[in-house]
Amino acid sequence: MIEVRHVSKEFVSPKKYPGLKGAIKGLFSTEKVVKKAVEDISFTIQDGEIVGYIGSNGAGKSTTIKMMTGIMRPTSGECIVNGINPSAQRKKNAQEIGVVFGQRTQLWWDLPLSESFTILKEIYNVSDKDYTERMKFLNQVLQLDDFFDRPVRTLSLGQRMRADLGAALLHNPRVLYLDEPTIGLDLVVKDNIRAAIKEINEKYQTTVILTTHDIGDIEELCSRIIIIDEGKKIYDGSLEELKDTYGTRRTVSMEIKSPKEIVELDLPGKLGVTEQTCKVAFDEERKVLSVSFDKHKVQVPQVLGAVMELTEVSDIQIQETQLAEIVKEIYNHGLNQADS
Amino acid sequence: MKTIKRYMRLYKVLIVQFFKVIMQSKVDFLMGLFGFFFTQITGILFLYLVFEQIPLLQGWSLEQLIFIYGFAQIPRSIDHLFTDNIWLVAWRLVINGDFDRYMLRPMNVFFQVIAEKLQPDALGELLVGSILVIHSCRKGIVVTDALHIGLFFVSIMAGALIYTSIKLFFASFAFWIKTSGPFLQVAYELADFAKYPTEMYAKGIQFLITWVIPFAFVAYLPASYFLGRGGFFGAGSSNVEVIGIECLIAGLFWCIAYSVFRKGISIYESAGN
Amino acid sequence: MRRKLRIYLPFALNEMKRQMSYKGAFYLFILISTFSSFVSYFLWMAIYGSTDRVMLGGLTKEEMVVYIFMVYVTGSIVSISISDWVSDDVVKGTVAMNLIKPLDYRLSLISRALGCSVYNFFVPSVFIWIGLEIYKVNVLGMPVTGVWNVVLYIISCIMSFLIFVLFDFCVGMIAFFTNYIFGLLMVKEALLKFLTGALIPLSFFPEGVRRVFDFLPFSSMVYTPVMLYLGKYSMAELEFVLARQAIWVVLLYLLGSLIWKRVTTRLVVLGG
Repeated sequence: MIEVRHVSKEFVSPKKYPGLKGAIKGLFSTEKVVKKAVEDISFTIQDGEIVGYIGSNGAGKSTTIKMMTGIMRPTSGECIVNGINPSAQRKKNAQEIGVVFGQRTQLWWDLPLSESFTILKEIYNVSDKDYTERMKFLNQVLQLDDFFDRPVRTLSLGQRMRADLGAALLHNPRVLYLDEPTIGLDLVVKDNIRAAIKEINEKYQTTVILTTHDIGDIEELCSRIIIIDEGKKIYDGSLEELKDTYGTRRTVSMEIKSPKEIVELDLPGKLGVTEQTCKVAFDEERKVLSVSFDKHKVQVPQVLGAVMELTEVSDIQIQETQLAEIVKEIYNHGLNQADS
Repeated sequence: MKTIKRYMRLYKVLIVQFFKVIMQSKVDFLMGLFGFFFTQITGILFLYLVFEQIPLLQGWSLEQLIFIYGFAQIPRSIDHLFTDNIWLVAWRLVINGDFDRYMLRPMNVFFQVIAEKLQPDALGELLVGSILVIHSCRKGIVVTDALHIGLFFVSIMAGALIYTSIKLFFASFAFWIKTSGPFLQVAYELADFAKYPTEMYAKGIQFLITWVIPFAFVAYLPASYFLGRGGFFGAGSSNVEVIGIECLIAGLFWCIAYSVFRKGISIYESAGN
Repeated sequence: MRRKLRIYLPFALNEMKRQMSYKGAFYLFILISTFSSFVSYFLWMAIYGSTDRVMLGGLTKEEMVVYIFMVYVTGSIVSISISDWVSDDVVKGTVAMNLIKPLDYRLSLISRALGCSVYNFFVPSVFIWIGLEIYKVNVLGMPVTGVWNVVLYIISCIMSFLIFVLFDFCVGMIAFFTNYIFGLLMVKEALLKFLTGALIPLSFFPEGVRRVFDFLPFSSMVYTPVMLYLGKYSMAELEFVLARQAIWVVLLYLLGSLIWKRVTTRLVVLGG
């Protein structure tokens, strides 16, 4: 079980002034700028959960992960990972966790992958028996055999990610932290990585905490998501709930025969709602009229009726709001505005 | 004990790997070795040309100066060989966040830093140093009784530790100011002063390299003891005290440097902020 | 000519800007770079103190002080290691990019070096130079260096700069044939320090060795301008050393062109 209790992290840096004069001024100035990267975040994660930890760039995701893994100390509050405080008992915690940073490898650049694993076996004190068994499993889910003898620097991004994931799992950690594990990967590799994470989670009950910008990762893997914005937690709950509560928009696209009449259509006026509630767009080339509206305030037949009064409709498509759009809204406006 | 064994085993694994990499690029390795070797040789040639003009330099003979010069290379090269990765902490690892990986593994951080890399070029320096010292012994200018030989090895180890401590101390600044390479470089280059007898420098510099950044205790002072010259602690002293003080300084500086490093780790902020 | 200036001047200006952007850290490097001069200074003072002779290697103690620090000034504006840049370009594979553009690769490197050189002249060499003159007059009791010597020194330095970069360009070409340039560059560094007179005035070498040096371009890189500055040459010698510098500029220019032609043919055939 992971408990994060009222954790905050502040970065203090000397104030910078512009220009050459500023540089000289900066030498003598003692003014400091305090930036709050994470502010009073609390949550609890049970064993075996897969949790998506999401937020826009600079929201404080990585900072939180770094505090949970023991890389950084919180300014206030504490993390307790399986009863261990990572910043106080760094080594003990490290033995229990696996970490993958998508942007940078933790393997030895010049060494063949096989040798990296030999070293990791020593570092994590893995017994020969466990090692053999573990490698067999990792090979099966990550197909490391294909490039096991090649130096890490010669691996493709996808292979490197599989290797990094394997390396993080060699010592059978109870918690796996993944910081953007699918960044820059092609669709097939992404699928493989996701499948592997799922399999590991199911087989070993490994707790997985994952930050990502890829909505696909979240939809495929996470039963629960935590969203942070500007260092504060703004949502913590299941994916379904998020969709139900905030995915209130629906889009109807109609292919129409004679576009001319459409120009005169004032849909919001006709339905008695604001233009914000009911947005109309027309693609002249494809002759497609798209109407996006709040499903609690406007019904589909109302829209269809209004349009069909004016012109003949040859094709209709109805779309629920995608998770990606919900998340985009949240990033843009914060949670409060997203549901209006 | 079990922990020490585990660290030893891991160090061996890492070093073996490292040699495999070197062997894959043998020519590169040999060129680097030759480069360092050659750089040191020019220093000797310089002394040789100078002594074409004068018989003694402030009472020191060419042979004695060559011994000091050669002796200075040995602790330097040992430190260089084993702990070269500390430079990367100062220049790169902290500021770009690569230091993260040491924090994520269940082992001592300092051990991980130094175990990651051997600097084979240092063998060039070690070679020059050893050749010069052996040459001096054969010339009979070095005192070679059991005590001196024993203390010779003690002094080399203490000297290497002083080098390592100074490097670690200045490299640790990186945890506060992100990159401390330039500071480390300034401190490290002061070692150049210690290749020659320190009496010839201005008083301020003498004090600096003897007591502040004590490179004189790594090279010139112990070397003068092995040459049988006394007098650092007043007339009549055999200078054997120098080796004792060298060890004391090594221990003290190591403790200071390592505490600063530990403190630095505790405030490490990683990159991206 | 004006067109060329328009094309290649930005290389020089960019390099200057790049150097300036280092700020704080850079000033420490400047401090470091003077260390070895101070070690030399004390060493030479001890050496002169150990003999009754007034002159060693044809230089008095006072002249030696000038020699040591003018070596620093000269080196900082002359020894711009463009071979490092070449090997960088080769490793990163950006040389091919340079071949695509209608640019003279060598000229662009030399322009960059010029920017670096001008920057080094102002930070910090000119201050060390002025400081040295003040020290010379007030402490060493020597007269201020005459305008004539300064002019000769500057003319000679310009040629030294060209000799150095043209030579170093040829060295850099080795990067195209081997991956092991790092060690080679270190050997080059050590060798040049010795052969150019930066470590010890060439007049300290035995007669036979010096005669060999006369046929090499290295003495023209540092030793010649510094000795000119010290006014150590007679009128006849003066013409000779300056002519020798000019000849080396031409020879190394031709040699570099020849090698570059070979290298580019090879690149085109084998691919970058």
